[in-house]
Amino acid sequence: MKEEVAATVSAPHVNSSLKRAENRAKWVSYLFCFPAVTLMFIILLVPIFVAAGLSFTDYSLGNPDMNWLGSKNYEVIFGRSSYQKMIWATVTYVVVVVPVSIGLGLGAAMLINSVGRLGEIYKTIYFLPVMAALLAMALVWDLALHPTVGIINDFLSLGCGSGVETFFSFGWIPFVDGSQSWYATSCADEFPNWIGDRDYTMPVICFIGIWQAFGFNMVLYLAGLTGVPRELYHAAAIDGVTNGWDQFRLVTWPMLGPTTIFVVTITSINSFKVFDTVEALTWGGPAKSTYVMMYAIFEKAVKENLVGFGSAITVVFLGFVLIITFTQRYLVEKRVHYS
Amino acid sequence: MINNFSATQALRHTILIIGALIVILPFYAMLSYSMKSPHEIETNTGGFFGDQKPMVDEWCVKANNPSGVRPSEELKQSCTKTPVVFNYQSAFTKAPLVRYMLNGVFVTVSIFIIQVLIALPCAYALAKLKFWGRDAVFMLVLFCLLIPVHAIALPLYIMLSKVGLINSYAALIIPWTISVFGIFLMRQFFMTIPDDLIDAARIDGMSEFSIVWKVMLPCAIPALMAFAIFSVVAHWNDYFWPRIAVTSDRNYFTPPLGLRMFKGDSDGDVYGPMMATATIIVTPLIVAFLLAQRKFIEGITLSGMK
Repeated sequence: MKEEVAATVSAPHVNSSLKRAENRAKWVSYLFCFPAVTLMFIILLVPIFVAAGLSFTDYSLGNPDMNWLGSKNYEVIFGRSSYQKMIWATVTYVVVVVPVSIGLGLGAAMLINSVGRLGEIYKTIYFLPVMAALLAMALVWDLALHPTVGIINDFLSLGCGSGVETFFSFGWIPFVDGSQSWYATSCADEFPNWIGDRDYTMPVICFIGIWQAFGFNMVLYLAGLTGVPRELYHAAAIDGVTNGWDQFRLVTWPMLGPTTIFVVTITSINSFKVFDTVEALTWGGPAKSTYVMMYAIFEKAVKENLVGFGSAITVVFLGFVLIITFTQRYLVEKRVHYS
Repeated sequence: MINNFSATQALRHTILIIGALIVILPFYAMLSYSMKSPHEIETNTGGFFGDQKPMVDEWCVKANNPSGVRPSEELKQSCTKTPVVFNYQSAFTKAPLVRYMLNGVFVTVSIFIIQVLIALPCAYALAKLKFWGRDAVFMLVLFCLLIPVHAIALPLYIMLSKVGLINSYAALIIPWTISVFGIFLMRQFFMTIPDDLIDAARIDGMSEFSIVWKVMLPCAIPALMAFAIFSVVAHWNDYFWPRIAVTSDRNYFTPPLGLRMFKGDSDGDVYGPMMATATIIVTPLIVAFLLAQRKFIEGITLSGMK
């Protein structure tokens, strides 16, 4: 087939017609790229400049006059305590969700890899949250975690007054006062109001985020693990690396480097974008403890029409995202190349 | 494998099973709540299916009794149904759920089709045609890959409201029409298709336009399928952008927005129908995933291949 084509191509008249086709293709390529390039400018690039420009003003929709504020919006973001809390909440969420969901994803991938064909079942189950609409599942968690009617507290209180309480109070460990433990005090009083109590809200939002994200990381790690050559383990064994932890530390983990860098980047960006759970469950509260940036942009700019201020948050947000991606690019080029 | 069964293996399964139970818990709760009566939800009784003891639908009574006087026994009788029927019926009658679902289908399908129409020719040009400025266009694509659309939602919202498009299908679709990722992905795929194939098509007198749609597109079906899953899952489940783009007009609500409305009134009675709605919204993708797992995992993790 290939030779046939080559033969026809060498015939002179065909050659010239191909030339003509290629010339025509030159013009066609601009036509082909035009819609995509135009949309890239209008939808992706122009908005960045719009946001950057508006962030120095007090613009609001439907208000004809707008004033130049200079850097005042940014001073408010970095200076006023409620917005420092916003950055703090966002960073906390990212710093908790990224390592935990990646650790769990990697752990699950390695366990699944080691249990043979049955692993497929776990893989399917762990991937379910990735497919489900996060908003819907957040509302389910909300109900399940309800302080009085929720099944979680109902389930936890089942253990009260029995051996389960004794066990989880850890009073059996020497020098531990079991009656002061979390489980014992909860049993004596009541189990927490998970979403309304400021001590628990952020952990719960993080938990839902981890619950949703780790299956995705697991699948990426499973793909990464198939790329680790078996022979490396044999070679390591010859060098005396036989225990599981050393195998992981010296072979598996370094070989997964490229996967890890990618997983960290995508999970970080997704975590920065957290919105659904906060908007549906906490409205940024209590006491701004879950006031993450995406929610702040929505609340300030869309609900309260403080577009200028919201734009400033957008710019700060974009800054965070760019830092992450450039770090990734740098690491990819610098270090992780094992092939 | 069974011979290899050992303490370690048992421990591994124990950990994996505990994990699986935690992952499944909300799905179990959602299904269970969607079948229970308000009373059972409030008291946490009835097991998984609930008792299914017929109950009086207060909304139905109220709707058929506009005068507000004591409703007749007959009316109460006609408004009596089992909890599971009550929940799923209310999901469709309390809110125009069918409309929301159709909106969701329309928006996700439109987004995907437009993405392909725009990305495919550009990807072909970048992969197979030589023209001045090609590297610049490709650099632009690589740069745009760094910009998450969610992050620039606010300026997009302002631009769309300046042209009067907020609360419309256009607002839901426009920001997603350009998939830089799609361009990148298809370009990588087209690079693997031999030039001879294209030359042969040219000799046959095909125009570049028909080469894209009649030669390249059929070759790219596997990659397109994966991209379709990626795109559809992302936009069916998306809540952030619809929440911003559709501020008031319920006619343009997508399924997650419709579901969110149940949370507004914290009236305990709404839990059942809310969970029924959640089940209805989540089910299509979950079922599709269970049927074509490999394809779905491939599609969702597609972004991992760059």
